[in-house]
Amino acid sequence: MSQARKQLAIGDALAQVGAAGLFLFSILAAIPGSLRHVRETLRQIWFVGAMSLVIIMTCGLFVGMVLSLQLYYTLAKFGGTAALGTVVALSLFRELGPVVTALLFAGRAGTSITAEIGLMRATDQLSAMEMMAVDPLAYVVAPRFIAGVVAMPLLACIFNALGILGAHAVGVSWLGLDNGTFWGNMTANVEVWSDLVNGVWKSAAFGAVVALIATFQGYTTPPTSEGVAYATTRTVVSSSITVLALDFVMTAFLM
Amino acid sequence: MNARPDHNPDQPPATDSPAYVRVRGVRTVLGGKTIFDGLDLDIPRGKITAVMGPSGTGKTTLLRHITGQLPVDAGEIRVDGRNLAELSRNQLFELRETIGYLFQNSALLTDFSVFENVAFPLRQHLRLPEEIVRNIVLTRLQAVGLRGAAELMPAELSGGMARRVALARAIVRDPGLMIYDEPFVGLDPIALNQVLKLIRTLNDTLGITSVLVAHEFAAVRRAADWVYLIAGGKVAAQGHPEELAERDSPWTRQFFGGEADGPVPFQYPARDYAADLGFQAGGA
Repeated sequence: MSQARKQLAIGDALAQVGAAGLFLFSILAAIPGSLRHVRETLRQIWFVGAMSLVIIMTCGLFVGMVLSLQLYYTLAKFGGTAALGTVVALSLFRELGPVVTALLFAGRAGTSITAEIGLMRATDQLSAMEMMAVDPLAYVVAPRFIAGVVAMPLLACIFNALGILGAHAVGVSWLGLDNGTFWGNMTANVEVWSDLVNGVWKSAAFGAVVALIATFQGYTTPPTSEGVAYATTRTVVSSSITVLALDFVMTAFLM
Repeated sequence: MNARPDHNPDQPPATDSPAYVRVRGVRTVLGGKTIFDGLDLDIPRGKITAVMGPSGTGKTTLLRHITGQLPVDAGEIRVDGRNLAELSRNQLFELRETIGYLFQNSALLTDFSVFENVAFPLRQHLRLPEEIVRNIVLTRLQAVGLRGAAELMPAELSGGMARRVALARAIVRDPGLMIYDEPFVGLDPIALNQVLKLIRTLNDTLGITSVLVAHEFAAVRRAADWVYLIAGGKVAAQGHPEELAERDSPWTRQFFGGEADGPVPFQYPARDYAADLGFQAGGA
């Protein structure tokens, strides 16, 4: 890639970030107006939250099982298998729960939000709303943004719970770790505020980021089938990168 | 058929009040292409005004200007006396509550049934008892012949039916200004006749001001009080439809006669045809 094209690509990327920032302000300004559309917001929470439960629960269970298996093998080398419950819980609550849930959320709910809004743009539904004096930011975008912020922490908590159950199934039921040791060490060493609640904050922030990217990509997509397809792909790529980068920043501040 | 008003053939029919829409000196450039270059026109209050012209001449762009969806690069547009450039977003939305807009592609909300689509503007802006909402919606659907389709979803409608539902939605709040973007496309002769009658009835009984963008001159002839023919970024001709059809100008002759040769080029600008096909210009 030539120097000029590189500069152009960087310029485009920065312009996108700037536009997304301005879009966030527009959403925040539209939130008071969206409070009139409580039913639409609840419908979106159902759609992005409840409808994502199957994938979140299944993945949470398997992540917990794999984590338990790997950590048991590693901890056994140091004679520390008694710490299995603690290590699994800390890994899930502080890191894996919010991050993996956000990545799954971007793939399941983020893409559908982008495709739905993009198709509404392509079929003039957003313009029709504007012509009926209904603000699409308040009626379409803000409810989906709120739904992302509300649903993500709940989904992350469910992911964590299923992860712990999966770890218990492998560590206790299969590998023979004592049940009391598993739960006792976990409850003794995991702090509600510094471990559990910090993870909830993280997942709320990730929910906001994924919902922002998904709605922004859908709202600004070119009104063509190719445009919607690219926007959907960009939602997954941008959300994944942003979530991982934000995770590092938030972890550094929350430690 | 409308009675031909006694008027100056170069001026829209006179009404008691000022024009509902005044367009003055509008200049628009989109994607480097000049769409309008000093466009002036008036939409008289209480009349049906048709805007016609070749494809790509900016008819839909003009409608987007009039509704404040697209700002002009220069010039001024006043709707019901209000300068669109001076309106805040909230004021623009207040103005739009008085405008009904029929989109070219219907633009129905795909998640809602036909009934809910028509009820949407009522539910969003008015706190009406459900029984009244139901009655208003059903009367509008009856007017477009689709009361029986109230529970269908937009995906279950044909293009013409979707257009009629969109029309019912556009008129559900009795707008002061009704804008029709290609209302006759996809309609069978029966539906077209009924929609024509509806447009005329709305205008005659409720005094709605209407702007109609269409290519079907036969239909426009029956509905419109005044026609603007737009070409080359300006008003190329205007007049009562009957009088305009008979006028002997290059614009009207080409447009209403459907001729390829005339002031409006049929071919999109391109390099020499022979050279494009690989022949030497002037060669054997």
